[in-house]
Amino acid sequence: MPFPPRPVDATLHGVVDYTAGAFHLTVFPKLAGIEGTRSARQIRTAAAIHAGYSTLTDYPLGIVKLLPYQAHLAIDAVGAVALAALPFITGQYKKGPREWVPNVGVGLFELMSLSISDPTGRGDYHGNVDKVRSANMEDPHRKIYDGGPAVRSAARGAPA
Amino acid sequence: MRATVWSGRNSVQVENVPDPRILNDRDAIVKITSTAICGSDLHLYDGYIPTMKRGDVLGHEFMGEVVEVGKGVGNLRVGDRVVVPFPIACGDCWQCKHERYSACENSNPNAGLAEKLFGHPTCGIFGYSHLTGGYAGGQAEYARVPFADVGPIKIEDDLTDEQVLFLSDILPTGYFGADLCDIKGGECIAVFGAGPVGQFAIASAVMLGAERVIAIDAYQYRLDMALNKAGATDAINFDEDPDIVEQLKLLTGGRGPDAVIDAVGMEATHGHGALHTMERVKQATRQETERGHALRDAILACRPGGIVSVIGVYGGLMDKFPAGALMNKALQLRAGQAPVQKYLRPLYERIRDGDIDPSFVVTHRLPLDTAPDGYETFKHKQDECVKVVLKP
Amino acid sequence: MKGKAAITVYRSREEVERLWRDSAYRPKYIGDADAAVTFNDAPGDRGTEIHVDLERTGRGGRLGDVVQKVVGAEPLAKVKDDLRRFKQHVETGVISRSDGTPEGESAERKLKQRPAQPLDEAELQKAGI
Repeated sequence: MPFPPRPVDATLHGVVDYTAGAFHLTVFPKLAGIEGTRSARQIRTAAAIHAGYSTLTDYPLGIVKLLPYQAHLAIDAVGAVALAALPFITGQYKKGPREWVPNVGVGLFELMSLSISDPTGRGDYHGNVDKVRSANMEDPHRKIYDGGPAVRSAARGAPA
Repeated sequence: MRATVWSGRNSVQVENVPDPRILNDRDAIVKITSTAICGSDLHLYDGYIPTMKRGDVLGHEFMGEVVEVGKGVGNLRVGDRVVVPFPIACGDCWQCKHERYSACENSNPNAGLAEKLFGHPTCGIFGYSHLTGGYAGGQAEYARVPFADVGPIKIEDDLTDEQVLFLSDILPTGYFGADLCDIKGGECIAVFGAGPVGQFAIASAVMLGAERVIAIDAYQYRLDMALNKAGATDAINFDEDPDIVEQLKLLTGGRGPDAVIDAVGMEATHGHGALHTMERVKQATRQETERGHALRDAILACRPGGIVSVIGVYGGLMDKFPAGALMNKALQLRAGQAPVQKYLRPLYERIRDGDIDPSFVVTHRLPLDTAPDGYETFKHKQDECVKVVLKP
Repeated sequence: MKGKAAITVYRSREEVERLWRDSAYRPKYIGDADAAVTFNDAPGDRGTEIHVDLERTGRGGRLGDVVQKVVGAEPLAKVKDDLRRFKQHVETGVISRSDGTPEGESAERKLKQRPAQPLDEAELQKAGI
């Protein structure tokens, strides 16, 4: 049972998707001193793909809400494992740590952030206000603005 | 039966679940005629309260007709029309005998869980996570009511559901908040929050004889309801001017209000953008569980020697609590989940005598099946929404 | 302090001691573990305090392994369950049941709550109702 519940909700996950994605795509390889390696190219590609399907995800920061949030999380997980395994599949790991440690590091970061993400809930759901308006058996504006007070004051004495 | 169940963050569904049965001799089964969505339900909806499980039936404000009674329930009969209080209380323990029903020692069968978070367990509550017992709630067609010989009040007058439904929670809660302020007549009371509980806190302060009652909120339509309907004498819209403490000083001749009621709780909004953003980030990453703007401002705004009455719901831990202001200004901090059972009779009498018509808060009356959209409308304060009543 | 628990029951000491020995009320796990149980008058009008010490037997010896074997992994949690259920039974006449935990207070249920919705026929049978 969630006690306490996983802290990262769909909105926060989206924020991380875009900011971490942008970071990995641009300055990360230089900062990590791996500019020019196959590892750097793979991480950049993964970041671009990740940002790409994020824009298509049905969550608060998605632009076209196609991909269900749970599917997005599943792709994140598979992608993280794939990125981490890639240097060992291609054989580039033999060229030294700069060709595999970054992959494994980024993959682990992704898996860790998934482990504290809350997969429940409905991504980006905004209620249908029009449906509520037509089903409403009350008139909110009149309730607030018509008629007098609904309370009798002890101090002021006069009835409502 | 149809019931509104929790299905994750920002998600409720209306689904078919089994009908409730009598489990103990002191139970009764109530067929629900009206039920409501509470501001505290939004804390469940937004995912801030731990121990929720997919499939939990929500709702703790409900009333209806008794359809079955256990062997041990002598005071109710099938066919009685009752309003059910949200705290489940046995009536026999030391706390209940001293009218502290929301501190009942026997009604929470998950006491071990609550103890971990609060140091001691507190009463069971309908539809409010497994911390409060894991009881199915009342946004449904039927509900099982434990200790039915203690809680429910029989309605024997020709009053509509909307006039008495709020005896279940928000009217006694607002009244309890005002009661804690020790109003003797002539006071200035500030109420943070003009949601339904705030409206009733304002109305109760008015009924108890306060001379000035100041409503504080960021939504003008809620302040208008407080002024037009609940009897507030002044309103502060902190969306226009975020310095609430200063505005309260001006409204009280520099003295500060004699007592302040916090009817906001853990999901406070605030005009100060940067502070609010920082608190939201901290809350999202669970570095703190509460956004304490309202409580902080309440303590700072209250006049020295005054009373801060907390009826807004909090669940965990808060950062930056103004302990210095509390202590040095000799404030009294009083808080609690309302011991509803204590106030049922007196408030029912006030409704019968025409002192208050609680139905003024109802802006939305919807069929139970529209609950998911109802929750969203209520949460985002759309369509001038103040209170949503659901009809099963 | 590891093996101790206490609870206060809002009844006189005579009544509490009598019901403790009554087979309809007697807590199962504390009884099986033969832990040391003492009854004191609580201050003022608060009733009777019941103190359970798992590190000693009712006969004054030390337990350890015996307790582990009889009571299971979480002896203190089960003792607290027992004490709460006894208090509920004595004070209110019923053991509080919810949909999340239909058997009443139970350490095993803490991590395996049912969803908070009414039980169906099969589950009612299983919960013994």
